[in-house]
Amino acid sequence: MDYLLNIVMLAGINMIAVLGVAVFTGFTGLFSLGHAAFVGIGAYTSGVLTYHWNAPFFLAILAGMAVTGVSSLIIGIPTLRANLRSDYFAITILGFGEALRVSLENLSITNGARGLSLDELSHPAWVFGALAVSVLLTRNFLKSRFGAMFMAVREDPVAAEMAGINLFRTRLLSLVVSAVLCGLSGALLAHRLAFIQPVMFTMTQSTQLLATVIAGGMGSMSGPLIVSFIFTSMPEALRWLNMWRLPAYGLLLVLIMIYRPQGLLGYREVPSLLRGGLEKWRIRFSR
Amino acid sequence: MLLQTLVTGLSIGGIYSLMAVGYSLIASILSFSNFAHGAVIMLGAYIGLALATKLNLGLGLVLTGGVIGAGFIAVFNERIAYAALRHRNAPPLYLMISAMGCSMFLENMVYATIGSRLYGFPEFFKRQVVHVWGSSLSLLDVSAFVVSMAAILALHIFIMRTRTGIAIRAGVGDMTMCSLMGVNTDRLISIVFFLAGAFAGVAGIFLGVKYLVYPTMGWVTNKAYIAAVIGGLGSLPGALIGGLILGVVETLVSTYVSSVVRDIFSFSMLIALLICLPNGLMGRETEEKV
Amino acid sequence: MAHPLLEVSELSRSFGGICAVNSLSFRIEAGGITGLIGPNGAGKTTVFNLITAVYRPSSGAILLDGHDLAGKRPYEVVRAGVARTFQNIRLFGRLTCLENVMTPICARGAHGRFAALFRTPSVRNEERRARESALSTLDALGISDTANLIASTLPYGLQRKLEIARALACNPRLLLLDEPAAGMNDAEMSELGDTIVRVRQNFDVTIILIEHHIKLVMGICTNLVVMERGALLAEGKPNDIQNDERVVAAYLGRPRASGGKKRHV
Repeated sequence: MDYLLNIVMLAGINMIAVLGVAVFTGFTGLFSLGHAAFVGIGAYTSGVLTYHWNAPFFLAILAGMAVTGVSSLIIGIPTLRANLRSDYFAITILGFGEALRVSLENLSITNGARGLSLDELSHPAWVFGALAVSVLLTRNFLKSRFGAMFMAVREDPVAAEMAGINLFRTRLLSLVVSAVLCGLSGALLAHRLAFIQPVMFTMTQSTQLLATVIAGGMGSMSGPLIVSFIFTSMPEALRWLNMWRLPAYGLLLVLIMIYRPQGLLGYREVPSLLRGGLEKWRIRFSR
Repeated sequence: MLLQTLVTGLSIGGIYSLMAVGYSLIASILSFSNFAHGAVIMLGAYIGLALATKLNLGLGLVLTGGVIGAGFIAVFNERIAYAALRHRNAPPLYLMISAMGCSMFLENMVYATIGSRLYGFPEFFKRQVVHVWGSSLSLLDVSAFVVSMAAILALHIFIMRTRTGIAIRAGVGDMTMCSLMGVNTDRLISIVFFLAGAFAGVAGIFLGVKYLVYPTMGWVTNKAYIAAVIGGLGSLPGALIGGLILGVVETLVSTYVSSVVRDIFSFSMLIALLICLPNGLMGRETEEKV
Repeated sequence: MAHPLLEVSELSRSFGGICAVNSLSFRIEAGGITGLIGPNGAGKTTVFNLITAVYRPSSGAILLDGHDLAGKRPYEVVRAGVARTFQNIRLFGRLTCLENVMTPICARGAHGRFAALFRTPSVRNEERRARESALSTLDALGISDTANLIASTLPYGLQRKLEIARALACNPRLLLLDEPAAGMNDAEMSELGDTIVRVRQNFDVTIILIEHHIKLVMGICTNLVVMERGALLAEGKPNDIQNDERVVAAYLGRPRASGGKKRHV
């Protein structure tokens, strides 16, 4: 039972980060190769606080989210203001992630490349509570005028700007929201695994987050969440497959792009699909 | 000392240029960043390694084998992962994601089959040195630089002087028009990928000889990509200059400051440059047509 | 002294040595429908792109109601009161028609980020008002029954109307329409002409219209600005322009017996 709970908790933590990337890539149409860095910042900020100063877990999580948000501003303001091409933006975020990894490996406060051993503070209540709150608030946010602006920017940046949208501020907002979610996920992850190391937050992890969102479907929250749950729990259940997991992810990305670019649930959500299905049944029944 | 540092920088820069050329060639004709290029370079290095250690071939034959092998891998990569997307005019983002997938697949396949062990090439250059103006320079560095420059010069002549080269330049201008004029664009794109792969092969082998061969060695291509962007993605002279600048600056930083900050420095340089010159040093101005 | 709504003076823009707009000056008074016409490549769309700050001018000034638009970003120009449509339709393809029209309303919305997180009553109210306002705009264009359809699935003619609706949702004083009748047949075109005239009155907006269908231009425009090779060729009332020798000679071409290309200038 513990084993199962452990898997589900890891999946839940991963789902929060995936939600962040879904906001940024799926809803705002920006492509990032460095979101694992935000997970890392959340993990290390909270980890350093609980490790060195015995900070209360709740405060450590909040600090992790805040520092992640500020870091996303530091990288986002210059790059998004310059309105870089999407691939250039992707590579600058990647560079940011690598710079972060190098710094973490060489700081004494983070114990360098050897990593930090932490207490297991992420109890199920924390994880599932955080997941529920994240999903609810993100849904609210995406339903608001800000979500509408994100989607307009994704669909056509030029037309969005001609609809009166400030491209820079909208993209920056999306980056901050996504980074804060990743930071939350990182803080929970650090205190779930009870051990963090700089190599846990590299481009490979960023690509996995991206792969999850693409496979789940652009412009959908529930799709990436479902896929994230499958991706995280499957390899844990099938440990012997571990070595083939990454090549399989890669192959999956290529196949999705060729055969099903909308992913599992592109631009749709489970609740509205259910409602649609229910409607069909009702019509059939009443005939 | 300074001369030695410069030559080391130029030799690394030369290898960066070789890799950057691949990014630029493909970006110029398909306007997307082929993030699978790193994996092709890595496979080129493994092919060279196999030829050198299993068949005991000399450097010349190893390079030839690596060039042909990596060239075909790049062509297959295009056929399998990009051609279908191109044919239905998918947005560049899809091509990039597909490229990420290829890169992930190839690197981790090597990891899963050959393993993460580090392999070294036989010592082709036996730590020989050449003496120039009182400094002793490593023969490997000098050869890497000379071969890179020769290869890029050859490519330049090919593109400027041959019929295929003219077709490639026309494709850079307007692919649709090019196909309307009766050019077989699929074949043209295959040729471009073969060229990019061939350069990846040379770069991979020199990287392997200079350092080691391992599944994630293609990581270094992220820096080559930076070089291509600094020079202006899509421009061949830009790739050359960007590579050399990056190589020299990195070597200077790691010699005189610290090798730890080297990568941070190159990424900051990229960001600063892109903010001032969004199209790189020699890139074409691209204002979106509205 | 009253300012004209739009004043373009000595405006130039070149692309790599080619002068797309060359020292162009004209004024638009509030209230009319001005046709911006000229042969292909005359630089008409470039003028729109310059007014809306999609491109920066090489030199010259654009004044909206006496205020210089220099250095403004496109979204700031929109907020200053200019909206436009695009020659090659640019809708938010995967969003519904209603969402397309709601976007400009959302862009100038009032509720803050934290209110959005918690979906407070004020957020819901604002959303409801935006929805109603967008619906009434769709209604004004006669396409309210498409509200819940995905924009990219609409037929071409309706997509053009939807673009006009989205532009109107920006609350513009000046509306720029780039070839709104492209690809339409005569019946659709005359219906579109009526719509444009009605919209001009109902929304109290000044319109500049790039159009190749001379019939539509002559039918609804109160004023014409004729461009050739980036420069101003003539300016005036439609009837005067029609009889202007320079325009007839240089732009309509030499009069021919067969009227083959007459309508499609």
